[in-house]
Amino acid sequence: MISRGVLADLNDVSTRLANTQRKMSTGKELTRPSDDPFAVGRAIALRTELDGVGQYRRNAAEAEAWTAATDVQLGGLTDIAHRARELLMQGSSGTTTPSQRATIAAEIDQLVDAAKQTANATHGGRSLFGGTATNVRPYDMVSDAYAGDGGDVVRTIGPGVSVIVNVRASDVLGNGADGKMLETLRDVAAHLRGGTAADQAALTGSDIAALDSSIGDLLGARAQIGTTANRVTAADDRLAELEEGVRNLLSTTEDADMAATLIDYSMQQSVYQSALRAGAGIVQASLLDFLR
Amino acid sequence: MPVSTFMGLHTSLRGLLAEQRALDVTSHNIANANTQGYSRQEAQLQATDALALPTSGRLGTGVDVIAYKRIRDSFLDLQYRTQAMQVGAGATRAQALDRAELRLSEPGENGIAQRLNSYWSSWSDLANAPDSGAARQALIGDAQSLISAVNALDVGMQTVASEAAAELSALTGAGGELQQVGRELAGLNGAIRDAQRVGAQPNDLLDRRDLLLDKLAGLAQVSVADDGAGSIRVTLGGAAAPLVDGSVLTWPPPAMTSPGGTIGALMDLSSPTGTIASYRSDIANFAQGLTAQVNAIYQPAAGTDFFAYDGATATLSLNPLVTAATVRAGAGGAGDNSAALALSELRGTPGSADDLYARLVTRIGTEVADARRGALNASALSESIEDRRQGTAGVSLDEEMTNLIRFQRGYQAAARAMSATDELLDTLIDRTGRVGL
Repeated sequence: MISRGVLADLNDVSTRLANTQRKMSTGKELTRPSDDPFAVGRAIALRTELDGVGQYRRNAAEAEAWTAATDVQLGGLTDIAHRARELLMQGSSGTTTPSQRATIAAEIDQLVDAAKQTANATHGGRSLFGGTATNVRPYDMVSDAYAGDGGDVVRTIGPGVSVIVNVRASDVLGNGADGKMLETLRDVAAHLRGGTAADQAALTGSDIAALDSSIGDLLGARAQIGTTANRVTAADDRLAELEEGVRNLLSTTEDADMAATLIDYSMQQSVYQSALRAGAGIVQASLLDFLR
Repeated sequence: MPVSTFMGLHTSLRGLLAEQRALDVTSHNIANANTQGYSRQEAQLQATDALALPTSGRLGTGVDVIAYKRIRDSFLDLQYRTQAMQVGAGATRAQALDRAELRLSEPGENGIAQRLNSYWSSWSDLANAPDSGAARQALIGDAQSLISAVNALDVGMQTVASEAAAELSALTGAGGELQQVGRELAGLNGAIRDAQRVGAQPNDLLDRRDLLLDKLAGLAQVSVADDGAGSIRVTLGGAAAPLVDGSVLTWPPPAMTSPGGTIGALMDLSSPTGTIASYRSDIANFAQGLTAQVNAIYQPAAGTDFFAYDGATATLSLNPLVTAATVRAGAGGAGDNSAALALSELRGTPGSADDLYARLVTRIGTEVADARRGALNASALSESIEDRRQGTAGVSLDEEMTNLIRFQRGYQAAARAMSATDELLDTLIDRTGRVGL
């Protein structure tokens, strides 16, 4: 009866010792759902959240890259528009000869091509300015028609938080004859070549106004992209903090408290050893030892 | 009536014989100190009938062994068997659920939770690069790994249930433990009845029968009725008819209404309405939920379902129309990622697949912890009853050693008394009547 009791107690202590040892070797408080079902459920939810936050951060990085690439190309387009405006000022002055005007008109034609090439820029093999038609170039060199679509390129940077990271070429350069930058530049070139009084009047009047409005469109687009980029950066900072927080929570939920575990371990070990010693003493002692 | 001269010799002889029997019983006890199910025995001594003397009252004539008593408390046996049934049920259930829990491989990097995370992340990656072949390939790969994990979990649960069914039929089938125990019980019933009919005390057979009943109690709920003539009638699991009645074994065993014990636990585990089956239906719910949620978003965008769930075979699969070449992130242009975005947003929302899965894990974890606690409690209780039983019926070597000395001394004293009588007779026979010799 005593030996059965000793055996049961030893088993009990060694089971606890094995559990503590497992905690130490895995560094985890929870190794099976039954260790603490609710904590495991919580750990699973936290892990899901952590993975989600990590994904949002990757999305944010992607969004930052996209907005940065868009901004660079919009900068190029703005430079082109400014150059066109300089040329227009030169060409519209009364002292410019028709042959000089023809040269300027030729340069403006070049600028149109340059603008279209800039708008055909890609990021990671995807067209930046074609809406969601990322696999086609927004413009070919023959016509000024916009070949992209009206879609938004959306990135999710938080639960239910999405940002539009693209600018469509149709909004800044235009789609054929719609009064946007491409048509304005075409008009300017035509007026420079025309040489009539009406052309001259257009050069100094409506063309400048139209070009300024195109520059306004570009600046507006850059401002919008800049704001988005700021928003994404701020969101990423917040996500980094959140990630840290969730990681801490997860760690407190499922990681073993090493100091406490070590203390438990050495305590249980000494209990085990003394149980063994006491058991050995009790089991061995018998009346037989004391009879002759 | 005069008293025989040799009366003292006889009295001493009775003493010698009785002490010797008592020593024999002590030896038997010591020999069986570690025999399972053995009950301590005791030679019951009683003074033999006294001689009535007309003038001087009654003269004692010595001692006799009237019985070899088996020391056992049948009430503790009943308590032990009730608890043994709980231990059988608890241990079987805890072991099986433990195996079921292992199949989850949670918490960790290999469980379904992690695969779900990878799957949602793949949608998000595809949303970032809707026309990327690599992202599509990764998505299909993650979807397939999720599918195989879900199916493997269901198959794992099925295995646990079929293992339980196999164990049950090994226990209760022909040649199984139940039949062996039943057969032996029936045989013992006959032997005990025969022995008692001729007035013998088949203590060791009774011990053996009690041990078999203990064993049977671990398997299922046992009720025992004694017929008073040495036979018992054993009914198992609340069945209408007895399993063993006298020396007759009813085989196959009568249907049990409340089996309990190992058999009850195995029946529950392998039953199509039992615990494991309910885990499987939770897994099916999860797989159906996942399929419905994903398809509800994917179908309008791509025109085809993404997942397919077959309820009859409980298998989740990828729609064969969905491949790395055909999978779409949205209905619009190459860069349209609306569907992929919506799908990646499913991650962790209340009522989502993650949620259903976490609930399943929590449920299994809770039930495993409960089963383990129940098994521990039952075995602690049964240990304490066994302790009490051993206190009564068990052989204490210290006590037997003490008895050994007691009976040895008794024997020595009886022998000395015999020598004294002998000397007395010596005086009478050899030294009297020699006057003048």
